[in-house]
Amino acid sequence: MSEIDLKQLIFDLAGLMSVSGSTAHDSKKLIDLIGGYFDEVHTGAVGNHLFIRRCGKENAPKILVDTHYDEIGMCVTQVKDDGFLTVTNIGGLDTRILQASEVTVYGRDADGNEHNIYGVVGSTPPHLQKPGDANKLKPIDELLIDTGYTKAELEKYVRVGTPVGFRPKYLELKNGLIAGKGFDDKSCGACAVAAIASTPHEELWGDVYLLFSSFEEDGAFMVGASAGAFAVDPVCALVADVNLAHTPDTKKNETVEVNGGVSVTWSPLTDKRLNRILMDEAKEKGIKTQLSVCPGGTGTNATVVGLVGRGIPTVDVGLPLKSMHTCTEVISMEDAAALRDIIALFITSRKIAEDLK
Amino acid sequence: MENKKVTEEKLSGIKLLRDLCLTFGPTGCEEAVADEICRQLEGTTDAEITRVRCGNVYAVLHGETKNGETAKKVMLSAHTDEVGFIINEIDSDGYLKFSCEGGIDPRVLCGRHVTFRGKDGDVAGVIASKAIHHQTADERKTATKVKDMYVDIGAKNKEDAEKYVAVGVWGTFDSDFVVFGENDRYMKGKAIDDRLGCAVIIETLRRLKAEGKRLPFDLYCAFTVREEIGRSGAQIAAQTFEPDYAIVLESTAIADLPDVPANSRVAKVGDGGVISLADRSTVYDREFVDGTMKIAAQKNIPAQIKRYVSGGNDAGHIHKAARGTKTLAVSAPTRYLHSASCVAAAADFDSIRELIYAVLNGYSF
Repeated sequence: MSEIDLKQLIFDLAGLMSVSGSTAHDSKKLIDLIGGYFDEVHTGAVGNHLFIRRCGKENAPKILVDTHYDEIGMCVTQVKDDGFLTVTNIGGLDTRILQASEVTVYGRDADGNEHNIYGVVGSTPPHLQKPGDANKLKPIDELLIDTGYTKAELEKYVRVGTPVGFRPKYLELKNGLIAGKGFDDKSCGACAVAAIASTPHEELWGDVYLLFSSFEEDGAFMVGASAGAFAVDPVCALVADVNLAHTPDTKKNETVEVNGGVSVTWSPLTDKRLNRILMDEAKEKGIKTQLSVCPGGTGTNATVVGLVGRGIPTVDVGLPLKSMHTCTEVISMEDAAALRDIIALFITSRKIAEDLK
Repeated sequence: MENKKVTEEKLSGIKLLRDLCLTFGPTGCEEAVADEICRQLEGTTDAEITRVRCGNVYAVLHGETKNGETAKKVMLSAHTDEVGFIINEIDSDGYLKFSCEGGIDPRVLCGRHVTFRGKDGDVAGVIASKAIHHQTADERKTATKVKDMYVDIGAKNKEDAEKYVAVGVWGTFDSDFVVFGENDRYMKGKAIDDRLGCAVIIETLRRLKAEGKRLPFDLYCAFTVREEIGRSGAQIAAQTFEPDYAIVLESTAIADLPDVPANSRVAKVGDGGVISLADRSTVYDREFVDGTMKIAAQKNIPAQIKRYVSGGNDAGHIHKAARGTKTLAVSAPTRYLHSASCVAAAADFDSIRELIYAVLNGYSF
């Protein structure tokens, strides 16, 4: 059993500022938070963080566990009169949740010192809405963030490009469900830390490289994962990312179930043999899994990791998540515990080690 | 990580407002607000407090008249309810479908935290609809309709959800009270509309007691229900007291945003209480308006005339009630009204309190 309070670690990690392109912003806080569980910590050229836990054997095989550390967010495009800001999205932000939401503007003073500013995303009063506007959603570049500053004062801390994130504010629902920002994908990061940190070195079948990769949310290049995997050159990889969960307005064949356990991606891009071993062993250990069928790409870093170098046998496991890319992403602690346990299984499985020899 | 300036010390001046805003009181379920108001008034005023069946709370302070004249009657009113929700269905997966109480723009709903007052306690939830990945290109440009939204409380299914909530259970936004902006000049919270009005009345009663003031007229303070659906408890209050004058303490939606022409901004945050000439429910008594603005000018209290005929409030019922009442509305200019994140200025709260006190002491009723 893990001694780490997984829920608290999820809140702590998700609460860090790691909007794509700014994954170095809270680097020190990140390393202070989890670095102690590992033997080595490295940072990479593209905003990656790499945490290594050694198994203690010479020339041990290298196991890559990838979760992406970056999150969706916004950045400032204009500082306007009376302390209002316009922004654009970074990553596929769900703009429907923006009006009346609360944000943190990650400003800095002239010396580079952090100066966080609270803001509210404004809405338009009814008298200013034109007929026919009632059904329209304002595009993100027409929304205004209200900081309560004067323009002159605000410009000391905020400029074009200053990152903006959702205010970290977490809510516990019934049955161990939790809601908040940044669970995509830092909740999986927390599960991986808990799994690796709670496994004694001698039980690992190789050295474990936990990659907190950058740039997943840019959606196109996934350079954090590919560069990170290239640098590690592992014998296999486990990618853990959140997976779209079923809600009343979605199709069951396009989603996974919250409280249905870890989703295991069945895709041409994932390694069938590793998938089978992982699912069989999970079943033996009572870890709940469900299949997630992806005929093309996985929509995760697994899409690129398997193609790195001479090819890396890759499995892709998922944490079911509702309301993805909002400030109220919802996950289940039961699923999170299962994800932690299946990652622990992956890095200790002698069958997987054998299969890769 | 967040605005760390929200300390008890800095909040002390507006602690009353914060406590009122954090109280649960959607239209039709205002009891907790009435409780909180009574608790705040207890021992801090000599007014006679009564609660009536419809949910209103009254605080009556008799004045001192000369030579046995019949005292004039002046009423201050503020509404206790806030916009909110009511569960109208629990679906088979345990999600809550809901209707809105009061005029809420559907665009401020998705992603908000909400609280439902279940039979065994408050239940936390989030308003959701399908993830962006499942939205069509058209859906991404279209406001989601309330009937297509649902609240996720974490229930496993309908039976599980029914352990905590039921059809008919009321809810509100769950939103903390944040002091923010340069020099902590703004406040963010739910229900600033109209707990700010309630707070102004409570502070007025407290100040009258603290200064040992006896007014030359009878003061009827009414904390009234059901403003947000227009079926006003204020009407009942006005019919009960038949006041000669009434001052409605309110919050008004403003648009003091960049790129909005001055005449469409309605009013400006920080420029004092907003005095209405006309809105969609009332044309106000011009003499009362002018007299009030004159007092504001004499006493150097910021106040502003509302620059747009929009909105409406309890004055619409009060000025027509019984034989008719000379009515004034003084509103806090409030951004993003009827959302989880109403924004008002601490300075306006002060200006309005000062103005009401000055009018009670200076206007010739």
